[in-house]
Amino acid sequence: MQLTVNGQNYNVDVEDDMPLLWVLRDELGITGPKYGCGIAMCGACTVHIDGQAMRSCSVPAGQVDGSEVTTIEGLGSPEALHAVQAAWIEEQVAQCGYCQSGQIMAAAAFLSINPEPTDSDIDQAMSANLCRCGTYPRIRAAVKNAAAKLQGV
Amino acid sequence: MMLTRFLILIAFTLSATSAIAQEDAPIDPQEGLATWAKIFEIVSHPRCANCHVPEDNRPRWSGAHYGLEEGEWRYHGMNVNGGEDRFGTMTLACNACHQQENSDVPHGPPGAHVWMLAPVEMVWWQKSSGEICEQIKDPERNGGRNLEEVAEHIDHDHLVHWGWDPGPGREPAPYSRKEAVEFFRSWAAAGAPCPDVAEATQDYLEDQALPETAE
Ligand code: FES
Ligand code: FES
Repeated sequence: MQLTVNGQNYNVDVEDDMPLLWVLRDELGITGPKYGCGIAMCGACTVHIDGQAMRSCSVPAGQVDGSEVTTIEGLGSPEALHAVQAAWIEEQVAQCGYCQSGQIMAAAAFLSINPEPTDSDIDQAMSANLCRCGTYPRIRAAVKNAAAKLQGV
Repeated sequence: MMLTRFLILIAFTLSATSAIAQEDAPIDPQEGLATWAKIFEIVSHPRCANCHVPEDNRPRWSGAHYGLEEGEWRYHGMNVNGGEDRFGTMTLACNACHQQENSDVPHGPPGAHVWMLAPVEMVWWQKSSGEICEQIKDPERNGGRNLEEVAEHIDHDHLVHWGWDPGPGREPAPYSRKEAVEFFRSWAAAGAPCPDVAEATQDYLEDQALPETAE
C-alpha cells in the first residue's frame, strides 16, 4: 500500500489490519511515535493523519492508504522547530520523555483548530495523553506558550 | 378448466381478504406495551444509552464490561467530551481512538463507520421507559422521522448495528437488529402506546435506587 509519511512516499507490503504504529516503527524505522498501551488508552503513539491527531496503535494501516501521515520527526526540524516543540523546550516539559512525542503531536493538532484555548479546553483536548512522570502542569504551560507563539504574541 | 379457474379465483380472493383482515385487525394496546418494554430493554442497554447522553456531552461507561455492578456507572475515562458537535472535533475527535471497525485486542477501542454521540435531543441516559417512548415518537427529538423511518434507521444505520456487534468482551444489546426492527414495526402498528410517564419514571427510579430529586 501507498503511505506518505513526513512528505515521503513509501510502498509497504503489509496486511491491511497491521496497526499503523507497527508500520511506522518496524517497517519504516520511524520510532518517534511510542508504544505505550496498544489500545488507544495512553496517547504515546499519537501522530497526525491528514492533520488530525490519531492513535496510530489503533489505526489499521489499510485505513490510511493514500493519507498523509506526520510524525514528530516531520513536525519541525532541529533547525526550524515547530512552535509547540520550541515551547516544550522553553518550559522544559519532558521528564523521562516517553509520552512526549505523543503530547506534542496532540498539542500541535489541537492548537491548529483552537488557537486560543482556555484551561478547560486544554484539559479536554490533552487529558487522554497520559504522562507517568506527571508533567501535566508544564504541559499546560507549554500549550499556552505555544498558542502565544503561533499567534505571534 | 373452468372449474380450475374458478378455484384459483376463490383462493386469490380469500387470501386477499385475509390479508386485509390482518391489517385491519385491532392490535391489543397491552400487546403494544409489552412490545415497547422489549424496545426499552434495548435502548436502555449500556451499548445504546452510554452514548445517548445529555448536554454535558460526556459519554458514559456502564455495564459489566467495565467491572461495574448493575446501576453503577462512571464517565468515559480521560475526561473525554464529545463537544457540542458530538464528534469531539473541538476537543478530541472520537475517531482519534475509535476507528472504522472494532479493535480485536482485548479492551481495545470499539469502532464503526462513524463514531459519535447521538444528537443531544435524543438523550436516553437514565430516562424512564415512558420518557424515551414519547421522545422516540416525536419528530422534534427523533431526527425528524416518522415511525417507519425510525424502523428503517434501526435497520440501516451502521452505528445502531454496532450495538449488536460491539467487539470482543462487550455484551451486545439484547435481541437482534432484525428483532428490534420487528418489535418497532409491531409496536407502531399497535398504535405506538407508551407507558404512563409519571408511573414509569417512579418505577424506574425505584428500580435504579436513584434519588428521586436532585438537590
Ligand atoms: S500506544 Fe497508542 S494510545 Fe497507547
Ligand atoms: S515524561 Fe515520562 S511519561 Fe511523560
